[in-house]
Amino acid sequence: MSETRVTRTVVVTDPAGVHARTAVAIAEVVRRGKSRVTLVKDQEPVAGTDVLQILTMVAHQGETVRLEAVGPDAEAVLGALEPLFAGRFGDEAQKSA
Amino acid sequence: MKFADFICREAILAELQAMDKEGAIREMVQALCTAGKVEVEEFESIVKAILKREELGSTGIGRGVAVPHTKHPSVDRLVGSVAISSRGVDFASLDGEVVHLFFLLVSPPDRPGDHLRALENISRQLRDDTFCRFLKQAKTVGDIQQLLNEADNNQFGS
Repeated sequence: MSETRVTRTVVVTDPAGVHARTAVAIAEVVRRGKSRVTLVKDQEPVAGTDVLQILTMVAHQGETVRLEAVGPDAEAVLGALEPLFAGRFGDEAQKSA
Repeated sequence: MKFADFICREAILAELQAMDKEGAIREMVQALCTAGKVEVEEFESIVKAILKREELGSTGIGRGVAVPHTKHPSVDRLVGSVAISSRGVDFASLDGEVVHLFFLLVSPPDRPGDHLRALENISRQLRDDTFCRFLKQAKTVGDIQQLLNEADNNQFGS
């Protein structure tokens, strides 16, 4: 499986912003995948596996986060992360991702 | 936002007695009640709301830390407490580790920004290994309060 680098910019549309549940869900998705994922807000990169780092981004509704994934499943991982920024969790988001 | 802006000193618990998740949450909400930060008659409602939130996914965010929380209409400002369990409590955390440090937050439903800023402060400070280690080793409410004050005064690395 070849290694690819994929970047995507997402807008936080969840009215609550990137809160604890979002951060945990992001870390879970990234930990399940095989790619290294970095989230960047205000030019500050944080590791996608680390909930504490993700929460320190303080991403409110309407703000932009850049996602960078490097690895064999980079595209799929970012596809699974995207709904989380809209506050869509659980089976519905996971199945569609 | 600083710890002093939302952590109620009178609700800090230096040694949690509870051995499980629900017990830990009850003990911390009770501490907020006793401190007069939440209404006694809202106790059960707040505990249930926090447990319901936990059903959506554990707030055990790794590194021995949990941030149980809820929005609740009975508070008009963000209130929080800190508790330490030297034994550790199984909180079904992301990394499978037991939780030693608890930051419980109750926030007004219409203030999501304050909640995020409190989470940011907790997370930023806990990223510092020294602060995290000292807090886990703290034995008294005074020790904990001093560490929180030092963190507020940027005396740790992050």
